[in-house]
Amino acid sequence: MKGNKFKGIAVDGLLRNNPTLRLVLGTCPTLALSTTAMNGIGMGLAVTFILICSNTLISLLRKVIPNAVRIPSFVLIIATFVTVVRMVMEKFIPDLYDSLGVYLPLIVVNCVILGRAEAFASKNPVLDSAADGLFTGLGFTWALTLLGVIREVLGSGSIFGVELWSFRIEFFTSAAGAFFTYGVMIALFNALFAKIDNVKKRKEFYAAYPDAIQPEKLETKTEEVK
Amino acid sequence: MNKVYVSDSPHVRGARTTKGIMIDVCIALLPACIMGCVYFGFKALLVLVLSCVGAVGSEIVYNLILRKNIKEILRNFDFTSLVSGMLLGMCLSSNVPWYVPIISSIFMIIVVKMLFGGTGKNIVNPAITGRVFAFIAFQSVMISGWATPNIGAILSGGSEVTSGATPLTIMLSDGVDNMGISLLDLFLGTGVTGCIGETCKLALIVGGIYLVCRKVIGWQWPVIYVGVTGLMSVALNGFNFGYFLPSILSGGLMLGAIFMATDYVTSPFTDKGRYVYYIALGIVTALLRKYTRIEVVSFAILLMNLFVPLINAHIRPRIFGAPTLLDKIKDKIAKMKSKKQADKEVQG
Repeated sequence: MKGNKFKGIAVDGLLRNNPTLRLVLGTCPTLALSTTAMNGIGMGLAVTFILICSNTLISLLRKVIPNAVRIPSFVLIIATFVTVVRMVMEKFIPDLYDSLGVYLPLIVVNCVILGRAEAFASKNPVLDSAADGLFTGLGFTWALTLLGVIREVLGSGSIFGVELWSFRIEFFTSAAGAFFTYGVMIALFNALFAKIDNVKKRKEFYAAYPDAIQPEKLETKTEEVK
Repeated sequence: MNKVYVSDSPHVRGARTTKGIMIDVCIALLPACIMGCVYFGFKALLVLVLSCVGAVGSEIVYNLILRKNIKEILRNFDFTSLVSGMLLGMCLSSNVPWYVPIISSIFMIIVVKMLFGGTGKNIVNPAITGRVFAFIAFQSVMISGWATPNIGAILSGGSEVTSGATPLTIMLSDGVDNMGISLLDLFLGTGVTGCIGETCKLALIVGGIYLVCRKVIGWQWPVIYVGVTGLMSVALNGFNFGYFLPSILSGGLMLGAIFMATDYVTSPFTDKGRYVYYIALGIVTALLRKYTRIEVVSFAILLMNLFVPLINAHIRPRIFGAPTLLDKIKDKIAKMKSKKQADKEVQG
């Protein structure tokens, strides 16, 4: 039962409720920072770390924090961890720190983190909240990295800073290209889930009504008659 | 029960088919294409062919992905993608690399047209968007320079084509006196730097006259667009009438006014709405040209295309028998008068 629960949280965070592609949260850093794959990974991991820490602490304090002032309390907790991450990154990876720029301190008001704090961590036990933070953060990371890879390969002709060819479509490095690529990715992801849900619903339906005629079988039958 | 469904434009259907009209547009585009090939040589032909192949090919491939029958696809092929492909090719410089027309035409057909539902359902003109995409996507290639034609170029294999700034950009940045090119040259396109299809205004006007004669477009719409742009340029440059002819004869204004702004799908369907649309287009074009100092006809048309649903929603024809605007104003004045009189009587 317990293993199942964590599996559900993982699938939710990585795929079904992917913060970038399904919930469309935190779009500002997504669009601004996905120009390169490295930026995507850096931003994603920073958010993941902060998400785990803030989710854990908020879950620990969920019975102490009064309901009326919960949002300021969440922001305070998140801001603490963001400051820590900022200082560490400035000391050890200054290049990435520079390229993330203003979006690093802006994690404080990132909807993904605030959203998970409000929707999950303030209602669930500590271990679940930490797991939720981890998987939501990783979901954010992979979506951002994929977006970054697509935009970097097409727009700058390189991947993770390694040059591939001199051919480039500068459209993808611009803001318009970010919106376009992001939109196409959301559309494809939604189409995928619509298909999965459809198949699941049909299976459930035929399991509930075994006598119902299935269209595919019907076609084969008519062919046999011919 | 009595719901009214509004179908996509066009609403009035006659014996003429989309296919027939689009073939007419293709014929009208031919003179300008031929003149472009004469001026810019073999490379211009290559760009035109590549963008047409890209446009038509991507439409067929998209339909195949939707699992349509190949025979049905060919029967329903309505030449709109060919027109878009030709227009896109005409908007490009002849010295662009081979992948620019192909990628732009694929983007224009798949994203702008097919994803919105195909012919007649696109919200913006595909050819215009294709050009804007090429302009944004390949900035370094597109801004690096336009080709200058050489009449002998087609004989010598196109090697004498040089590149530089267009007369329009020179006019916008240095003033009309420094253009260094005569009006006749601008009209005929001889020695004018620019895109393949836009330099020879004579060929474009001949194509436009053909379209007007075949009643594909109304003569007044391109004239209004071009005229308003010219007058607005004059006004913006301190009422210097020396600007009128150069500003309407340079750049892609003629091409845009005759073939792109008049696209049925992306222009208002009432005459009143069209007057608003083309006058606004002219003003927007002149203003943007003045303050961005680049050629903006494509951007202006793209911008105004997005306003077309708004124009269609708010500028509606008067219903038969309903009071005209003049009647309404008269009515209001009469009401105000009677009210004033009533007030006076109360005071008296």
